[in-house]
Amino acid sequence: MSSRYANTWALVRLNLCHDWLKIFLWIAGLAGMMASAAAKFEGIYGTPKAMASIAQTLKTPAMVSLFGPFTATPPFSSAVIYGAEMMVFMGLFAAMMNVYFAVHATRAEEDAGTSELILAHAVGRQSPLLAAIIELLMINGVAGVLEALGLQAANMPGASATGSWLFGLGLAAFGFMFGTFSLLFAQMVSSARASTMLSYAWLGLLYVARMGTDVKNPALTWWTIFGWIEKMHLYTANVWTPVWLMLGLSATVLFGAVALANARDIGAGLVEPRAGRSKASRFLQGPLMLLARLDRTSTIIWLLGLFVLGAAYGSIFGTVGDLVQSNPMLAKLLGSSGVAAANRAVVLGLANTLVVIFAVVAAVPAISTLLRLNTDERKGYLELLHAAPVSRLHLFLSHAFEAVGVGTLALALGVLGMGVAGNASMTTPISLARFMRGFVGYWPALLVVCGLAALLVGLLPRLQTLIWVVPVYGVLSMFLGPMLDFPKWAERLSPFGWVNAVPTRAVAWPTFARMTALGIGLFGLAYVSYRRRDLTMN
Amino acid sequence: MADVLTVDHLQKKFGKFQALKDITFSIHPGEVFGFIGPNGAGKSTTIRTLLGILRPTAGRATIFGQDAWADAVSIHKRIAYVPGDVNLWPNLSGGEVIDFLLRLNGQKHSDRTDELIKVFALDVRKKARTYSKGNRQKVALVAAFSSQADLSIFDEPTSGLDPLMEEVFQREVLALKQAGKSVLLSSHILSEVERMCDRIAIIRQGEIIEVGSLAEMRQLSRSTVRVTTQQPLTAIEALPSVHQFKAKTPTQAVFSVDAEALGDTITALSQLGITQLITTPPTLEDLFLRYYNQEGGKDEQ
Repeated sequence: MSSRYANTWALVRLNLCHDWLKIFLWIAGLAGMMASAAAKFEGIYGTPKAMASIAQTLKTPAMVSLFGPFTATPPFSSAVIYGAEMMVFMGLFAAMMNVYFAVHATRAEEDAGTSELILAHAVGRQSPLLAAIIELLMINGVAGVLEALGLQAANMPGASATGSWLFGLGLAAFGFMFGTFSLLFAQMVSSARASTMLSYAWLGLLYVARMGTDVKNPALTWWTIFGWIEKMHLYTANVWTPVWLMLGLSATVLFGAVALANARDIGAGLVEPRAGRSKASRFLQGPLMLLARLDRTSTIIWLLGLFVLGAAYGSIFGTVGDLVQSNPMLAKLLGSSGVAAANRAVVLGLANTLVVIFAVVAAVPAISTLLRLNTDERKGYLELLHAAPVSRLHLFLSHAFEAVGVGTLALALGVLGMGVAGNASMTTPISLARFMRGFVGYWPALLVVCGLAALLVGLLPRLQTLIWVVPVYGVLSMFLGPMLDFPKWAERLSPFGWVNAVPTRAVAWPTFARMTALGIGLFGLAYVSYRRRDLTMN
Repeated sequence: MADVLTVDHLQKKFGKFQALKDITFSIHPGEVFGFIGPNGAGKSTTIRTLLGILRPTAGRATIFGQDAWADAVSIHKRIAYVPGDVNLWPNLSGGEVIDFLLRLNGQKHSDRTDELIKVFALDVRKKARTYSKGNRQKVALVAAFSSQADLSIFDEPTSGLDPLMEEVFQREVLALKQAGKSVLLSSHILSEVERMCDRIAIIRQGEIIEVGSLAEMRQLSRSTVRVTTQQPLTAIEALPSVHQFKAKTPTQAVFSVDAEALGDTITALSQLGITQLITTPPTLEDLFLRYYNQEGGKDEQ
């Protein structure tokens, strides 16, 4: 081993020492979710009748867009349905885990300045990158094996050992592949934040691409990379080709990452930072404008991203709302007006699910702006602000306003994109106002989530990252809840579960008022606790 | 005229750790006040309490007669602050940060600002992420000197500056003093404090152990005496006010002597026939080390 990789194992050990709890929680979460869902499946879809009915649902374009295509032929088994429902979803989570650890082990260390300290010792220049690769391999390896074992232990009818191992190891290869993308991005841009954003933009792009091809022409899904995970045909054909493709692409991407890392300086990206302004713009006045300026690029990306996501989903509404195509019997059963009403109901039903997704995604920039109040504090950026005549109320309100503002705009743009593109693709359009019910209905949920985040920021600054549990749980319960037959109270644990089925139904104004009041109350409590405490010191 | 700043039996606890035990001092108008002590003694904690960033556990701090915690905003309109560790938003340029900080205090980028940028030789177009520690400090210093603050608080402001810039810093502080403004300067660089400060407070383990002018402190301390005499110095070593007596030859020695006994000691020496005599007053460094070795050492045992 050349000196460029000296002491790599020491770094791997160091990383594992630091991260073991996070690794444990992620893996336990992923494997636990898979095993418990598998164990529950037989109870829900045990009868041939239940299976036929869920298979019918999974074949509708709406479900295909969310979960991937359902290609199995009868007789169905629990395992086949489980594979079709869980694959895309678990893939998303596995990718998110890998993005986190890949950025955490490389760019985040450089940002914090620890890389500099480490590289001053007898450590090779490429060792941190190699250590990150090894760490990712270990995490995915352990996760894959545990997932496979969990599936075998759940012992679903129709499950084969091959299928279970393909699921576990395929998921590991899939996650690792997205980890390597992040490692590549980490060499290109100049901060951890930017590499995370780029990784998620890439993940989102591939997910949306696979949605489009799945609905319109599944053969093209092979080109979307994300779609490889569907092509494993779990518990039916059990195809291993996608796994080799994932590993092959990972190796290629890693080759590129190592080459780029070789070419650049520590702490720098590919693009040299441009010189800035010598004087501030007229608008840079006060903390709110400062936040808007600091978040400018990421705000644009989020708003644009949500509009595109909404439009991508909306563009399949024409196919989704054409029930006759997937089930020719319907036309005879319902008549033409009945079909139109059914089509409309299907589109609005899907829109409801999508608005939840938009609300959760819109909560992400809002939450991270709120958390900035403490993270920027720890980094020492705010010390100069505190010495200026800026009250804590002013600072707090600026963060609250920016967070809720960006979140609101993002949600509105997501729904708007969905409505506009949806109407363009449907033969009988649904009014935009009807779609916007989704925005109005879910906005208070966004406000409550922001309020909870603010409360953590004010009251428990050290535990503030726990707030991410809320959006993640929100997606899980809304997405998988109906599939896995969650009890009602479990769906109501997240504020997203308190909203009625807008835009199918009208906005429930009493709920709207109650949730808005709760959100404002949470912000008030948050401020009271923020005002009275010491600011977090670095 | 009333004091610009008074700190009265200030205490601060972080959980069980008592960072500040008893801090009492005040700054007069138009005064440069030095604040010295080793790492972890509580200098920055005191300053952050003065700025209302930390809430005092007990005691009180007032600036311009207003409470440092409750009236922070109105106080901050009239102060400037440069922390020891200046951290700036990485994607803003130095120029943007300077203008932003000035605007927060209701002020504008003036000719004075341009002049300061020039004397501190700062490239304001660079993004903060590419600045070195010294350059980040310059950004905060330009903003601080450019605002017409009545009280400037500097927390180890020159730790990243080169000697040339340190010189510029000292010049600007003296200009503030001449304009009748007050300055609180916390520093490790004792020569800097010695040269600029009218009065000094020494802090150790969360307590102020001495406040006064350098001259007053010297009164409480010992001078160093180097002497050569015609007759042997044996009797001198036995005097109670003489310490650390080191004889090179029987008639040549170096020792320190309590300030109040200096006259008596010289009289005693003159009886031995002085051929050469040098007395040096203690430097701030001597004072500092003495306070720390004597009392700090004892506490740490």
